[in-house]
Amino acid sequence: MAKEAVKYVWEGAIPLQIHLHKSDVASHPAPPPALVLAPRIGYLPLLIPLIKPYFKDSLPPGEDSIWFDYKGFPLKWYIPTGVLFDLLCAEPERPWNLTIHFRGYPSNILIPCEGEDSVKWNFVNSLKEAQYIINGNCKNVMNMSQSDQEDLWTSVMNGDLDAYTRLSPKLKMGTVEDEFSRKTSLSSPQSQQVVPETEVAGQVKTARIPVRLYVRSLNKDFENLEDVPEIDTWDDISYLNRPVEFLKEEGKCFTLRDAIKSLLPEFMGDRAQRSGEERSIDDTEEADGSREMGEIKLVRIQGIEMKLEIPFSWVVNNLMNPEFYLHISVLVKAPQR
Amino acid sequence: MSQEEKAMEAIKDALRALRKRHLLEEGAHAPAISALSRPIISQGSEWKEKTEKLETELQQCYKAQSRLSEQLVIEVAESRTSKAILQEKELLINDLQKELTQRREECTQIQEELEEKTKMVDVLIAENQEIRSQLEEMTGRVQKAESENKMLIDRWMLQKMQDAERLNEANDLYEEMLAKLKANGLETLARQQVDGIVRRNEDGTDHFVESTIPSTCGHRIHAHEGGCGSIIFEYNSGTLFTGGQDRAVKMWDTNSGALIKSLYGSLGNILDMAVTHDNKSVIAATSSNNLFVWDVSSGRVRHTLTGHTDKVCAVDVSKFSSRHVVSAAYDRTIKLWDLHKGYCTNTVLFTSNCNAICLSIDGLTVFSGHMDGNLRLWDIQTGKLLSEVAGHSSAVTSVSLSRNGNRILTSGRDNVHNVFDTRTLEICGTLRASGNRLASNWSRSCISPDDDYVAAGSADGTVHVWSLSKGNIVSILKEQTSPILCCSWSGIGKPLASADKNGYVCTWT
Repeated sequence: MAKEAVKYVWEGAIPLQIHLHKSDVASHPAPPPALVLAPRIGYLPLLIPLIKPYFKDSLPPGEDSIWFDYKGFPLKWYIPTGVLFDLLCAEPERPWNLTIHFRGYPSNILIPCEGEDSVKWNFVNSLKEAQYIINGNCKNVMNMSQSDQEDLWTSVMNGDLDAYTRLSPKLKMGTVEDEFSRKTSLSSPQSQQVVPETEVAGQVKTARIPVRLYVRSLNKDFENLEDVPEIDTWDDISYLNRPVEFLKEEGKCFTLRDAIKSLLPEFMGDRAQRSGEERSIDDTEEADGSREMGEIKLVRIQGIEMKLEIPFSWVVNNLMNPEFYLHISVLVKAPQR
Repeated sequence: MSQEEKAMEAIKDALRALRKRHLLEEGAHAPAISALSRPIISQGSEWKEKTEKLETELQQCYKAQSRLSEQLVIEVAESRTSKAILQEKELLINDLQKELTQRREECTQIQEELEEKTKMVDVLIAENQEIRSQLEEMTGRVQKAESENKMLIDRWMLQKMQDAERLNEANDLYEEMLAKLKANGLETLARQQVDGIVRRNEDGTDHFVESTIPSTCGHRIHAHEGGCGSIIFEYNSGTLFTGGQDRAVKMWDTNSGALIKSLYGSLGNILDMAVTHDNKSVIAATSSNNLFVWDVSSGRVRHTLTGHTDKVCAVDVSKFSSRHVVSAAYDRTIKLWDLHKGYCTNTVLFTSNCNAICLSIDGLTVFSGHMDGNLRLWDIQTGKLLSEVAGHSSAVTSVSLSRNGNRILTSGRDNVHNVFDTRTLEICGTLRASGNRLASNWSRSCISPDDDYVAAGSADGTVHVWSLSKGNIVSILKEQTSPILCCSWSGIGKPLASADKNGYVCTWT
């Protein structure tokens, strides 16, 4: 069962319906949209080889500079697909309708992407960042042989969990000990990922967990997720790359709530007592003293929302991305001024 | 709930949520999408593979094609060149064939011609042989004929000779008979036979005068002082010219012994004289290297002939024409003069000095007697030596022609007088006398007009007279005491004149 969550995470894929932007249509009739299954842990540029065949006959002549947008909103390519989906679609739209462009790369908004190599570089970089946060140095990543790096990346690209499981111990990343994972996996053999590391045994453990937090702030309140207005600009999304200090206290469990509080103290405030509903904390219509503060509407990790009481260690061990980062999408209502 | 239970609950919730998500997302859509894309993908991949394969094949084909096209280009070029060569060759072949046919034609023509020619040649050869045989025959005949001819000619000659002899005999008989009739005169005629050929010489008969043997002295004239070197009679008259050391030429009448005329003007001693046939001019050779020509009638010097570089010792004038004068001088030359022109027309050189000179009857030949004892004959016109005869063992002193021109008398210092035949230059007679010694290099002797007597003076003052026909002395004339220098016989037969060193001239009849 411990592996079950990881399996679900790795196998997660979003159905995408890719439309060719009409300005790039050079054939008659316009090509039908392409349906692809995009891995949640993957990245949009990796889908290009799958998508391009659908549209290549319709393309106008010239060089291609491919980019995606959702309802006119250019998508940053270095954010895993799943995260983008969670962040931008408040009400999950399945299939997710994206538009692909082959021309007119918006260089003022998006950094250039040179295909698979850019993505790979981004991945390795993130890996180094994560190791630095966890271990204090990234020598393990750097000492990793080229072929091993290639294999690791290939396993990520292909969604090959077994290969990844074989290769990732070479990184010697310290992981958070998580008795809950162990408990849930009593029936299954212990995965090596959860082998307790030396830093865990019998002490007050302070581990640092690499977290990428995406906060989408909305101006006005909403009732249902369907009413969430579409996003216009990336300015509405603030991105935090802040590690979470994991306090391993005896007897106390570090929950997700605690983690988020540590990351976004201004939004949580005194709501710790509140028990999280499965769906969302949506009693923002209460106006008791919270008008001054923003309100967290939504916390999504890997496409699911969970109770905030869920132990953070479990979350980390099971829901992190292959580069050892935990991506959290948060929808908040912006504080009114 | 305890915290742990809450946690576990939360975890289970999370798992449930994951499962739900799975169902909603990939669970629902994956099969459909994969079903949709599989054929496309597979097809796509198939197509990709196919296209890749085809592309590689195409590349190979292109490569092969390029190679082949290169080869083709090369081949095309080669084939073009070979075509061109082939065409050339064909043309060449055509030309050659044409030529060949031409040549063949020519060849056949030539063969035909050759056959013709060979036939002709054969024919010609046959003809040639025939002709040769004919020729041989002919030559044989010719030879025979020639020999016969020769034989005939010989016989004929023989006959002729025989005839001639017979004629001679007959003539002799006849002449003998005549001679019997005219005893004296005909004998001389008979003597003039030469070589068995009868020749009747009538030249000398024009002025044939019988000469008498001189025996008595007629006159003794003191002609010149210092000596008289030369005397000469006028033609057919008794007038005598004398020339002497006193540089004067005098004209005497021998009948009376009186001086007729004196001719002056000479610059030197008179060494020799000549009289023209018409008796109008007298030419004298002088020691002053000159010759003087007087006009007898006027007595004046008409010409002075200069040119000799030494004393002129002999002179003669042509009897044929009075124009040509020949003179000999001690500069070893003989000069021929033309009296009408007045200058020397020819000069002849020789090695030995000439002492005496005489022109032939026809005036074309010069006889000269030289110090080396030779008698030489010269052609007047060319000045070339015609012949040479050794007459004397010492110097020739006198050369004189007979009246008829057939005989020539030469006297030499060897005291011998020879008579030559002028044509053959053979000695007809030799005259000697014991008492006869020639006085000087220029002692002149003479022949009588009838060509029978020879008179010559000697150093003791006597004059010897021989008979030519008999060859003996007929008379010795003694009168003068000093050596006789010159003798001359008158053309009318008498007198004979002789001059000596003292200048006295005696006439004998």
